[in-house]
Amino acid sequence: MFRRRIGRLAGRSVVVVGLAMFVLITVAPLAWLAISSLMEQQALTAKPPDFSSSSFTLANYTGVFAAAAQLGQGFANSFLVASFTTAIAIAVGAPAAYALARLSIPGANAILVMILGTQMLPGIVIAIPLFIVMSHLGLVDTRLALVIVYLSFNLPIVIWILRGFFLAIPPGIERAAAVDGATTAQIFRLIVLPISLSPLFATGVFAFIESWNEFFFALILTRQSARTAPLMISQFAGQYQTVFGQMMAAAALAIAPVVALAILFRNMIMKGFAEGMVKG
Amino acid sequence: MAEVELRAVTKSFGKVAVCKGVDLQVADGEFVTLLGPSGCGKTTTLNLIAGLEDASAGDILIGGRRVNDLTPFERDVAMVFQNYALYPHMTVAENIGFTLRLRGIAREAVRQRVAAVAESLELGPVLHRVPAQLSGGQQQRVALGRAIIREPQVFLFDEPFSNLDAGLRIKMRAEVKELHQRLGVTSIFVTHDQEEALSLSDRIAVMREGRVEQFGTPAEVYTRPVSKYVARFIGSPPLEFLSGRVESEGGLPVFRVGAAAFPLSLKTAERLVQGGQNCALGARPEHVLLGSSGIRATVRLAQPVGPATFVTLSWEGGELTARVPGMATFAAGSAVHFQVDREEHLMFFDDHQGRRMAME
Repeated sequence: MFRRRIGRLAGRSVVVVGLAMFVLITVAPLAWLAISSLMEQQALTAKPPDFSSSSFTLANYTGVFAAAAQLGQGFANSFLVASFTTAIAIAVGAPAAYALARLSIPGANAILVMILGTQMLPGIVIAIPLFIVMSHLGLVDTRLALVIVYLSFNLPIVIWILRGFFLAIPPGIERAAAVDGATTAQIFRLIVLPISLSPLFATGVFAFIESWNEFFFALILTRQSARTAPLMISQFAGQYQTVFGQMMAAAALAIAPVVALAILFRNMIMKGFAEGMVKG
Repeated sequence: MAEVELRAVTKSFGKVAVCKGVDLQVADGEFVTLLGPSGCGKTTTLNLIAGLEDASAGDILIGGRRVNDLTPFERDVAMVFQNYALYPHMTVAENIGFTLRLRGIAREAVRQRVAAVAESLELGPVLHRVPAQLSGGQQQRVALGRAIIREPQVFLFDEPFSNLDAGLRIKMRAEVKELHQRLGVTSIFVTHDQEEALSLSDRIAVMREGRVEQFGTPAEVYTRPVSKYVARFIGSPPLEFLSGRVESEGGLPVFRVGAAAFPLSLKTAERLVQGGQNCALGARPEHVLLGSSGIRATVRLAQPVGPATFVTLSWEGGELTARVPGMATFAAGSAVHFQVDREEHLMFFDDHQGRRMAME
């Protein structure tokens, strides 16, 4: 009895310590980001950094806002690109995922493997061909180019995630609708979509964050007018000097919408992903 | 309303044959139960009739029309599912009216018909709740309402009570039977609960490994089971079988099971001997009578269940259960005598094949 309790306690401690380490590793960069965005350049670059109260300032944020016109354009681009990518990925991905989950499609498994296969190529491999294609199409430095490229890696993930959710819906409900006289399209629209709002939302948030954070393709495919927030932030490095404080302030502003999104809808996101985990 | 007919219907999933040639004729307005253990193909058969699965071979006819290639809706059947399968995001009213809404019927007409159906099922007060806010029995009634509002030719029930507790199950059973008496719609009901099948059905199809083993009235399958399989599946407690042989005792024929000798008529003895001497005997508990004469046995176990007490009798080489009315007490180990009331209540089965041996 006593030994079993010790064992349970030990097991629990391992879990707690593991989780604490995970949280530390995840949160530390964010905490450092927040702290350094509020520090003066000199205090920040001193060795060791000077944490006295006099080295904290809001100047970085006012500095960033001074450059707001430019940065605002970046944020707007990011927002538009991420929103369109997410909307199209869900609008196209959800029916595709449902078809692959429920309809008897010849070669469905091959299609699924092919969709997954697109994820196997590292971005660098397709970067140059992609640039050539986009420049032939006259799409370099357009938001459309980014939406197309972001869809190419978001859509497969959306399809895979949503297919898992749809498979987890008890088939009885859809069968009942079929007996009630609903066509496959009606079953999808009137039954499956309304009961999948949480998973759809969670997947949408996922796609949005992926697009919002993307840096590499934005760097290659944009020059001026279509540049996104992550590119703007990187600009604080190197023009004349690396303005760490302002860079961090801009980064804090860039992650703010995503963090807000996650906090606001955390219940829905958790529910969405939890639903997908429970099979049968 | 319509008759339903299955002709040599088969269904395989890959290499696994689930239905191996099902023949079934359900008359117009009849209540038929498909009864069997899990994996016998009863739910698949129901899905084939509904059109939720495509038959591999054979013909399915509803109202004399071959429906193999029709959608579930075109077959004009309504189905009640095992887990209710209610639409979780719709209210009770929307659940019941969904099928009418799909047909483009005017909102007001839908509302009136939903109200009428809800009234008949005592769902009026919960019309605007969603399924998650209902009790199990109410959810089941919504599922019934969804089927009734269709006014279909055939009702299909797939183990509709399996999620309900015992008390509610009996109540819903009565409701479904009354519903059938009121509407008179041809109904096919799937269950693994023999009591449910006996109490609801006009006829029962006992299924075994993808085929219909016996198709008859509840009285027929209970009193004249065609095989050990059916005999054991129908009736509670399950029938026990006693292996034995025909012998002569003092010039009279008997069926000997260990130390017990069941007296036989000459005619029955002759039939048994013709059919091969090794056979198995079964007798329903209500036909095993305790008394002062007959075969000697000791009481091994007595289980009172309220209206009756089941007394397990044992003797050297055999065991049998008797049903005694009321809450009786028996001391374990006490000596009793018993006999089977009438010879026709002795059921004999071929010991190898398990088929019932014909006595007529």
